[in-house]
Amino acid sequence: MTEVKTYSNLMKEIQSGRFVLTGELEPERTANIEPTVNEAIELRKYCIAANITDNPKSTVCLSSLAGSYLTQEKSGLEIVYQLTCRDQNRMGLGAAILGAASLGLKNILALTGDHNACGDMPASKPVFDYDSTHLIQLVREMADKRSIEGLPLDEDCPNIEIHVGGAANPNASPMEPEIMHIQRKAMAGVEFLQTQVVYDIEIAEPFLKEIREKTGVPVLLGIFPMSGYGVAKGFDELVPGVSVPKDLLAKFKAVKKGGLGKKEKKEAYRKLNVDFYVPMLKELKKKNLVAGCHIMAVHYPKIFPPLMEALDLQPRE
Amino acid sequence: MIVTENKPWEEVKLALDNYMANKIVIVSCGVCAAKVGTGGTEGAKKMEAQLIDNGFSVLTTVVVDEPCDDRMVKQAFRKIKDEVEKSDVIISLACGLGTQAMNTVLREKFPKKVALTALNTVFMGETERFGVYKEACRACGECILNETGGVCPITHCAKSMLNGPCGGSVDGKCEVGDYTRSCGWVEIYDALQSIDRLDLFLKVREPRNWSESGHQRELNLR
Ligand code: SF4
Ligand code: SF4
Repeated sequence: MTEVKTYSNLMKEIQSGRFVLTGELEPERTANIEPTVNEAIELRKYCIAANITDNPKSTVCLSSLAGSYLTQEKSGLEIVYQLTCRDQNRMGLGAAILGAASLGLKNILALTGDHNACGDMPASKPVFDYDSTHLIQLVREMADKRSIEGLPLDEDCPNIEIHVGGAANPNASPMEPEIMHIQRKAMAGVEFLQTQVVYDIEIAEPFLKEIREKTGVPVLLGIFPMSGYGVAKGFDELVPGVSVPKDLLAKFKAVKKGGLGKKEKKEAYRKLNVDFYVPMLKELKKKNLVAGCHIMAVHYPKIFPPLMEALDLQPRE
Repeated sequence: MIVTENKPWEEVKLALDNYMANKIVIVSCGVCAAKVGTGGTEGAKKMEAQLIDNGFSVLTTVVVDEPCDDRMVKQAFRKIKDEVEKSDVIISLACGLGTQAMNTVLREKFPKKVALTALNTVFMGETERFGVYKEACRACGECILNETGGVCPITHCAKSMLNGPCGGSVDGKCEVGDYTRSCGWVEIYDALQSIDRLDLFLKVREPRNWSESGHQRELNLR
């Protein structure tokens, strides 16, 4: 058997069996990376790694390659470089992976990407030369075989020490095509999965069981802690296919309307998040269905300490 | 069928003015555009009326059976040689293929003349019923319908994924177009399931080869 090599802190953590936490960072439409770096420095206390998004929701933002490198370099937090197939063809993707390796990035999340028509530059040309499965294959080919669609890397090229992850959508309906899609990603060599946001254990559990049974790929379950009623309501209305459970939304509303002081309100929101997510995560962890959790709490790092405490996890620093 | 739609009249007028044209010959398609109603006799009549209303003079109007065939266009132009000579421009009521065939023939036989199109060519599609068309094939040159239950992923999937779905579909609807169109990959799943061939769904399909279709293709079968 060939030796399985592990290059990144994230993969090491996944293999260690500890409950893994990853975070999410979204550089915006600016050439200033400082706010992202500052948030990453905060996240470093809690997460093993954080994703840097690639023109999220098809909106034009700071390049995810530059953002990933600068954030990892300046904050010391390991980055999962999100790379989509929307904006460049296979030549661009191969070049980006070489670039990522040369910059010391260790993880790529390979995504097809939201369609241009859904974003703020709908007139741009959609590329989609590759899809996510092809991109997963390419990272693995470069890391394992030192070639790009069969073209050998130069002799002086160091080994490409990058792991590749993929996305999974537990909210997919119908579910079966999504499961088979993930099976294909597994055949292509995906090493970990991060799911879209889930609110409902009844949805998460059967999905995770199928993935475990059919692929065995470790899964980080996506959750979206909400810093207030406005965020919760916005998410509920704006993200198609996912809804915030009605009673949870009502509880958020009650806090907003409850006449509490600013500090108490924040406290109450934090408690709502913890009370809602922790039982689900504990249950899934107990059943060995998740390797950890991908916490998409953009601009809300304050949620980590109470969440971790309730999950019996120690801060990292 | 090649589906076309009318350009806005203002755009047609602007093109005519740009060529300082007054005397016009209308050449209309007798096949696809005739069926859609943008060409044929019907489309030609409407265009003629529009032109006359706006002070242009129409020297003649012909409907060509297959204006995407250079030979048919040559034949048609031969019959209206004098009008073509006298005209300022030809207006084409045909798709991009027809308009280009007209210009090919004009360059050879009437090198001072040009055909302007009054239509936009939108796609190759299936006809659901009169007036309702759906894009169905992009002529990719490597047809994989045999693996996908007869549903084209290049066209039906907004991202032309070979390994879908993308995770963006909700209740079987595509993220593009506000969840009104079917997700192509859910359609493929359903099609393969009903013929008991989900094994084909699970196959990893390799990236497409663009080395031929990334530039103009020609075919010579002789
Ligand atoms: S795969 Fe689709 S685009 Fe390609 S030839 Fe077949 S139907 Fe046309
Ligand atoms: S929702 Fe379906 S059709 Fe639309 S882009 Fe995704 S896979 Fe393709």
